[in-house]
Amino acid sequence: MTKRDFLGEFEQLVLLAVARLGETSYGVTILEAIRERTGRAASIGAVYATLARLEDKGYVRSWLGSATGERGGRARRHFTLRPAGTRALDASRQAQEAMWRGLEWKSRAEGV
Amino acid sequence: MARSRMEVPGGGRLNRPVLFGLAGRLLRAFLGREAAPAILGDLTELWAARVTEGRRPSLRDHVWFWRQVAGCLAPRTALAIRDQPPPSFIRRGKTMDTLFQDLRFALRTIRRGPAFAALVAITMALGIAATTVVYSAVDGLVLRPFPFPDGNRLIGVGTAYPRLGVELGFMENMSPAEYLDTRRAPSLQHVIAWDMGNRQVTVGENTENLFSGFWWGDAFQTLKMTPYLGRGFRPDEITRAERVAVLSYRVWRTRFGADSALVGGKIRVNGEPFQVIGIMPPRTLLYGMDLWIPMPVGPEVYRRNGRVFQVMARLAPGVSIDRANAELEVIARQVEGQYGSAFPEYGGWKMQAVTWTDINVQSLKSAAMILIAAVGFVMLLVSTNVATLLLGRSAARAREIALRAAVGASRRRILRQLLTESVLLALAGAAVGVALGYLGVAALSRTLEAGTLPLAGDLAVNGRVLLVAVGVAMLAGLGFGTVPALQALRLDPQRSLQTASGGATAHQSRLRLQRILVGVEAALAITLLAGGGYLVRSFLELRAVDPGFAPSRVLTMRLSLARERYPRARVEPFFAVLRERVAAVPGVRGVATASQFPPGVFLRQQLRIDGAAPLPEGQQPVAFVTLVSPGYFEMMEIPVRRGRPLTSEDRIGAPGVVTINEPLAARYFPGQDPVGKRIRIGSGDRPPYEIVGIVGATRNRGLDRAAEPELFISTLQADGLDNQLFLLVRTEGDPRGAIAAVRAIVRSIDADQPVYMVRTVDEALANSQVNRRLSTVLLGLFGLFALVLAAVGIYGVVSYAASQRTREVGVRMALGASAGSVTGLFLRQALLPVVIGASVGLLAAFGIGRAMASLLFGVRSGDPATLLASGALLALVGLMAAYLPARRASRLDPMRALRAE
Repeated sequence: MTKRDFLGEFEQLVLLAVARLGETSYGVTILEAIRERTGRAASIGAVYATLARLEDKGYVRSWLGSATGERGGRARRHFTLRPAGTRALDASRQAQEAMWRGLEWKSRAEGV
Repeated sequence: MARSRMEVPGGGRLNRPVLFGLAGRLLRAFLGREAAPAILGDLTELWAARVTEGRRPSLRDHVWFWRQVAGCLAPRTALAIRDQPPPSFIRRGKTMDTLFQDLRFALRTIRRGPAFAALVAITMALGIAATTVVYSAVDGLVLRPFPFPDGNRLIGVGTAYPRLGVELGFMENMSPAEYLDTRRAPSLQHVIAWDMGNRQVTVGENTENLFSGFWWGDAFQTLKMTPYLGRGFRPDEITRAERVAVLSYRVWRTRFGADSALVGGKIRVNGEPFQVIGIMPPRTLLYGMDLWIPMPVGPEVYRRNGRVFQVMARLAPGVSIDRANAELEVIARQVEGQYGSAFPEYGGWKMQAVTWTDINVQSLKSAAMILIAAVGFVMLLVSTNVATLLLGRSAARAREIALRAAVGASRRRILRQLLTESVLLALAGAAVGVALGYLGVAALSRTLEAGTLPLAGDLAVNGRVLLVAVGVAMLAGLGFGTVPALQALRLDPQRSLQTASGGATAHQSRLRLQRILVGVEAALAITLLAGGGYLVRSFLELRAVDPGFAPSRVLTMRLSLARERYPRARVEPFFAVLRERVAAVPGVRGVATASQFPPGVFLRQQLRIDGAAPLPEGQQPVAFVTLVSPGYFEMMEIPVRRGRPLTSEDRIGAPGVVTINEPLAARYFPGQDPVGKRIRIGSGDRPPYEIVGIVGATRNRGLDRAAEPELFISTLQADGLDNQLFLLVRTEGDPRGAIAAVRAIVRSIDADQPVYMVRTVDEALANSQVNRRLSTVLLGLFGLFALVLAAVGIYGVVSYAASQRTREVGVRMALGASAGSVTGLFLRQALLPVVIGASVGLLAAFGIGRAMASLLFGVRSGDPATLLASGALLALVGLMAAYLPARRASRLDPMRALRAE
């Protein structure tokens, strides 16, 4: 695996959000999911930038969905995981777990 | 969550982020039409969730919204849609980041060495100032002298009469009948004809003498210009000679109070009531004419050879000028066939369309091209000079560069960093240079206004000039940055890190490069010096030319008697009274009137010499024919070589007599005595004139051209033929002191008679050389600038060499070398490249001289005196520039020198 194939932290968060949301995943729901679970208030721009990169890498694909009134008649752009995306998430998780294994220190327990 | 948002209806007017529309436009512009709507939809949804119904959005909400938008505009946000690359500026995102980094770093470097940066910027500024001045002049005078749309489709129709020896001319070259002939050419549209003269215009109490055009046709349509106010002439107004007038914007503003009620109002033109129908746009359009009135003069007024008009037209769309010329040629041959017997000058005559720009700026073109070339040399020299300075400095920076290379900066990255610095320096210099150039252009424009250029455009630092200046600066920055940057990259980082300044090999290669550059500088400098030198010598030669008359302390002005009030019989009496009264003014030594005077003689006619064998086609005698009052030769101090001058006895009723100048005698009466011979003027059947005297030659076509045949008729025998004459007054003291007295006398004879073109003959002579003076001053300045730059370059190289060789000098001196031998060592090393470069430059100076031939007078390309002087000057300055640092090196204390490093 080359260096490029490792996922960045925010990339992981976005990919995980897409995985969780399934068919209802689009910009707003992804943003909300990340905020709800991590408390992190990302900007919509950051989310889209990451999605663009992930789409480039072939990890997600997108299609245009329905337009609704509260969106001013603008269609949603939905995202879904591609097999390569699942594999990349797996690889990242394995790498992290391998690195965490057996590691323990105080501050982590104290939640600093 | 999503559900709760659904309940909030979005899009209410009140409940919208500020400038929502702009956000949409920005997103579309940055991200494309495909990607933007989804993001904008999300933003709308988020906004609606944040600013719930009924709540007024606060400032914080708006700030939040725009921060979100700004986040989306960051280049990487473009949601790449398959098979569609993002807009180019987004792909360049990374480059831009690096650029900012480079810029920040460059600014830091400049701040660390402000003196060096200032030196580079000043050198650059002077070069860019020169570029700005020259390019504004070329742009305003040669490339776009007229502000007309599609100006390159405007043409003038010129005529040439080989029979009369008359070359292609565009002024007062067409009769009404010939104008109607040109209108038959289908390739020409909006053909107009006009004559120019002066008219007295009265608005209310205010009377002005205005340079005026008398039109056949609507010039606005031909020029594709729209009037500032009102309209142009309608065809029926032309044909019915309606009394309507168009005024220029400048007189309307400055003299008639910019009153828009004037349009539709009445003015008086030479006392006659006219209605103002329009105001020209805020620039003078043609030849500075301030008043346009219709003047339909059909063939019934002027004969077929009554040539008073100039003709202008627009090429029909898609038609080439060659096709127009082919049509004009057909028409010319038809006219020759039909009228050739009555008007012999039609034999082989030519009508030719030439673009309006070429007609008016041809004479300036060669000077312009030479100045452009010269300024190119100056910029090359500036770049070379800065490159040598940078090389000297890169020694000091070698360590820094090596360090960066050692920690992994790529060559490209370092190169870009160095180039960013040099371009930044160049642009800083350019900013100062453009400001300087702005002042220079203002000065130039004042000089030229005094001159007599047929300008309609402006001389100004406009957008094109700025573009050229900035472009040249960028190129120069890249140019002078590349050489030292590449040299710096050739260094071995390890070596550079070990020694303070990059090791001995580095010095060697740097020094070698510097010497080459100094040689190039010397070559460029001597070329420019010689170019300026040729012109200065031409100028001196020209000043030494004997004009053939005494031009100093002569006041001249022109008077045009209106035909309405002065029929032919009253013209000469008016001027006779004027001469008599002006002669009585204290301090006036002589008075004369003349239809033209040197150096501005231009009216030519065909001659026929009684009893002479007919000459072959194309060699018929032609001469300038000038009307002069008796006493003209005495007043102008033109010597009478044989026979007698014209006297007051030669009047109507007495036999017709003329005097001729020496060139006429020499050309058409070789080996004979012309006095007593008879000569006829023009093609008509008027009786011949007897030649009574020969006068000395004057430089009647300008100081830089040989005297041409000229023939003089007395105004007393001309029967008021010419109602426009110059008054010439020679005074004891300052001729301008007589202006008031002469004006008062004119008013006392005819209170309504204006005078114009008031100036001294000296000024007229200077004006005829304005072109040449300008190029001389500019090229002379460039030459001096080049000299200074070369000196700075030589000084820099010797200083650098001395600083690098401190130790060696110490060793030499410790071993007994004298200070003189050390100085000599540095001088020899420094001056060798200068000598080689200067030799190459002298060769180039030959070529330059040849290219400048049209501007030279009395000096030939490769003029030894000029080349010698340029070489000597460069040698002297170069020696001084090298001597100062060389001597400093030789004054070192050997012990301290040995301990250096």
